Amino acid sequence: MLASIVSYGLAVGAVYALIGITYNVMFAASRVFSFTAGMLGMLGGVLGAYFIDKLGMPTIVGFGAVLACGAAMGVITEFVAVRPVLKSIEQHLYVLSTLAFALLIAQFTAIQWGTDASPFPRLIPIGEGLLDQKFWIPMLSCAATVLGLEFLYRRTLIGRAFLAIAEDAYAARALGLPEVRLRLASFALAGVIGSLAGFAGGEMLLAFFGNQAILNFYGFVPVALGGMGNNRGALIAGLLLGLFQQAANFLVGGIFASVAVFVVFIIVLLLRPEGFAGASGARRV
Amino acid sequence: MKLGWLEGRITFLLLAVAAVCLPLFDDSYAGVIATRACIYWILISGLNLVVGYAGQIAIGWVALLTLGAYTTAVLTAGTATPALQPYVALLASAAVGAVSGVIVGLPALRLRTFYFAMTTLGFATIVTQIALAWKDVTGGGIGTPGPVFPFPFAPGWGFYYFCLILAVLCTWMTANIAASRFGRSLIAIRDAEVAAEASGVSKPALLMTVFVLSGALAGVAGGLFSSLQSYITPDAFNFDLSVLFFIAILIGGRGSILGPLLGTILLTVLPEIAAPLVAWSTFLYAALLLLIVLLIPGGIADMLDYKNRRPLQQHREIVPRPELLPALLDGTRRGALELTDVALAFGGVRAIDGLSLDFHSGEVHGLIGPNGSGKTTTLNVISGYYHPQAGTAQLNGATLPFGAPHRRASFRIARTFQTPRLVGGASVLENVMLGGTIDGQGTFAESLLTLPRHRSDERMLRERALQALTIVGLETLAQVRADRLQHSELRFMEIARALTLRPAFLMLDEPAAGLSTEEIRRLGTLIKAISHAGTGVLLVEHHADLIFDICDRVTVLNLGKILAAGTPAEIRSHREVVSAYLGA
Amino acid sequence: MPISAPDPLLQVKNLRAGYGKIIVLDGIDLTITPGEVVALLGPNGAGKSTLLKAVSGLLPRTGTVTFAGKNISTASPRAIVEGGLVHVVEGHRVFTQLTVFDNVLLAGYGMKSDLLHRQAEEALAFFPEIAAKRADKAGSLSGGQQQMLAVAQGLVRKPRLLMLDEPSAGLSPVLVDRVLAAAAQLRDAGTAVLLVEQLIEKALKLADRVYALARGSIVLEAKTSEPDLHNRLERAYFGTDK
Repeated sequence: MLASIVSYGLAVGAVYALIGITYNVMFAASRVFSFTAGMLGMLGGVLGAYFIDKLGMPTIVGFGAVLACGAAMGVITEFVAVRPVLKSIEQHLYVLSTLAFALLIAQFTAIQWGTDASPFPRLIPIGEGLLDQKFWIPMLSCAATVLGLEFLYRRTLIGRAFLAIAEDAYAARALGLPEVRLRLASFALAGVIGSLAGFAGGEMLLAFFGNQAILNFYGFVPVALGGMGNNRGALIAGLLLGLFQQAANFLVGGIFASVAVFVVFIIVLLLRPEGFAGASGARRV
Repeated sequence: MKLGWLEGRITFLLLAVAAVCLPLFDDSYAGVIATRACIYWILISGLNLVVGYAGQIAIGWVALLTLGAYTTAVLTAGTATPALQPYVALLASAAVGAVSGVIVGLPALRLRTFYFAMTTLGFATIVTQIALAWKDVTGGGIGTPGPVFPFPFAPGWGFYYFCLILAVLCTWMTANIAASRFGRSLIAIRDAEVAAEASGVSKPALLMTVFVLSGALAGVAGGLFSSLQSYITPDAFNFDLSVLFFIAILIGGRGSILGPLLGTILLTVLPEIAAPLVAWSTFLYAALLLLIVLLIPGGIADMLDYKNRRPLQQHREIVPRPELLPALLDGTRRGALELTDVALAFGGVRAIDGLSLDFHSGEVHGLIGPNGSGKTTTLNVISGYYHPQAGTAQLNGATLPFGAPHRRASFRIARTFQTPRLVGGASVLENVMLGGTIDGQGTFAESLLTLPRHRSDERMLRERALQALTIVGLETLAQVRADRLQHSELRFMEIARALTLRPAFLMLDEPAAGLSTEEIRRLGTLIKAISHAGTGVLLVEHHADLIFDICDRVTVLNLGKILAAGTPAEIRSHREVVSAYLGA
Repeated sequence: MPISAPDPLLQVKNLRAGYGKIIVLDGIDLTITPGEVVALLGPNGAGKSTLLKAVSGLLPRTGTVTFAGKNISTASPRAIVEGGLVHVVEGHRVFTQLTVFDNVLLAGYGMKSDLLHRQAEEALAFFPEIAAKRADKAGSLSGGQQQMLAVAQGLVRKPRLLMLDEPSAGLSPVLVDRVLAAAAQLRDAGTAVLLVEQLIEKALKLADRVYALARGSIVLEAKTSEPDLHNRLERAYFGTDK
């Protein structure tokens, strides 16, 4: 039982962490919390099943197509739901515009591909039991993403430009950094990561339009606990969340596991609104 | 209210007449839809105070509807308790809703907008999951029958009238709140939280009251909903409903009662007319929400707000009438506000370093110094935003505790801000009335029911605000929406708001910034007159000529310390000051 | 007094700018010729920083701004920076999470890699004390060192005009001299400098010409060699005697 809690928990946790990172990547470039993170994850699953099962694309082609769609969706999000409300960011209209956009896409998906969860194809039939692909693919994807982002942020100039914009957009603009293009790029990147999360976790979560809301919430918990914009925090909190949820699932039953997650989430937020790893933002004098 | 007194009343009246006459058509399907609209409105009218007025993005409000529905249904059915009368069960729903409203709302006091939105969403998710899981009580996925209300509100038109009466009552009560000092405070929390605080509004207390009211109404709506549905399952409470509630408010316009009411009717009736599109309904709701947010953030109320689209007169002039000040301010106050050895550091940076400063009734005390010398920080210490690490503050000899900015108004300490903090969606008069909030005597409940004390409060505040507006020279703009004013007018409006408190001490943070030379001269005369009427003025300003013109005493700060203090003449010739400014 | 100069590098005509409804500057005219150092002085709140931001495109503005013969009135900050007009904003806003060298590199974002690295090295060479800390996080530098880093960022692109906003704020006198010496070196290398400075004496020593800004307008323009400059400045600052 313990082994199955661990492998299932880490796999689900990896998906949550990836969605959390999707939130972070969008937030870093725009200071916008976007409700579209869960939607991207949902699309990863639905489109993956559609491309590979229905259209019969080879796995690798289907995978590429899903990521490309995710990137496109990220860019569209920026244009439709983020850019128009950035001017008055203090009014928090982005909460509504991104929520509306996410719902719009989720509902369209439901109308197009049905409201029932459909199975997700088996991608790489390696491993069995607790080492099944449905467990190691999400973990591998998460590890690859985190390492990739570390490389991007630490080794490339464009990655450092992202960090610069995240820290001080005004100073970045004054230096002549192409803020708008970088923001678009990071929304595309978020689209890739979000759809990867859904694709990698597809076998566990199935291709289901309702995953939008579920991933939105469970993907946000690692962000809230790990601190906004903190990818390592999101990774650790995401994995812990997955483990905690699975343990609670086994011990007290699924429904109360959700309640337990919610209660922990609220209590942590009320005690430490900036999360465990988040700094309370040094003041610029 | 935004739509103007008359226009609004006529629409309400027409709606009421239509609603009362509906049974004449004898169309029971129309009756069900109208009943549903009434039930939705009972919830939305309360949520409107949370979302439209207080600006809290509570998107998971369907959770409270669910709780209310199950409470009434379960208590009436008697599966978990002895069976209750439906009417009693409905009251229990209201209580459950009120308590849950507080639980859902509590995080709003501490969390940022998006986080709060997420917690309400999470709450909605788990309530549905519990309803599914707690099979013994809720029937799980199979569901449970809703209650049947006995005579006089038996199913059919009787039940319709029951819901209609409650809906009318909700409209009336929330409109009362909207038009009271509580409604103005809520909008102020939404648009200019700092100004609300400085006017003595306690955000936690007010928000909690509103969450209780809104939760109770949602609970009642839930109870009625369970009866209308006659059988409830967790499926009936999906997230689409939350979106619908939310859109009804946004479509209607934030800070309006009539707008969201029209929005509710529209959103309830539309899907029935467009029956073939029923699969697309949530999609269309979402599209509508996106369009509203992007294109008409003001909603229906804004589109109907003809009054505020009339062009304002160009080249307006602000002509203050300081001679009227004694009628507003009580010139007999005598006292002093003193800071002693105050020190405040942010991280390692010493913003104020052992500052002692006093200012007295009847004098204008100028505070000048280079950027970052601690002027605004000093104001923020006095008005309670910062808690210094050392030092004391005294008001008329008694200790003035640091912190608690919303308590400053009760000490008759008023202030203005470097950037005017306006409540953009409210009229100039309402903005100014906010300043006198703490002098209202009536409670929230009295305002809800427009009891006599509420009415006398409103009269008094209106009168006083008009007086203050006349003094600063803006009385002709009283009914104009504040965000249409020019910058200089906003500066004077803030002064009027501060005067409405009848302050003993008034702190002005760069009131002359952005004003023309002539306006600065008038401002100077006004400030001088305010001090002559007995109020002590602390003036932070960059315009050296204004400072030297009107101040009785001037303190010069540099790097958080006093560089010099004395009369304007002494300061003007003070070598170090001149060099601090010229940087020798 | 008319300045006899061939082609102005920067020409500002009838500039108007502010924040939202607040108009801070109105009717500003200003010119800078290639290679000269101009000090922009004025009391707090006069609009000096606003003027720099309006010129570098960080604030919306109306009026005409011409730089090196090109109209940049509606250009984006990025286009203006790439055109050779660099603005070092006040408050040494470096990126504290990044290393010193990364900060410098970012200032030349979009340049060819080898050129960027060469010019970044050259910019760092102006300030040996921060060059020694190139691998440290910028957040670990002292305020003065961060200011040097900000100025170094301004040098990476070898601008034709460098606008420095209060480079001395919060620095010890020694460091002020070091920063201003860098500005002097630049001038000698042919770069024009527009300097906003609180320390008037030091600014005047360095500058060829001075503008004084008060209450949103230019109230004085003079060569630093003109007599009686101090008293004229004082009068311009505190308003005319009544």
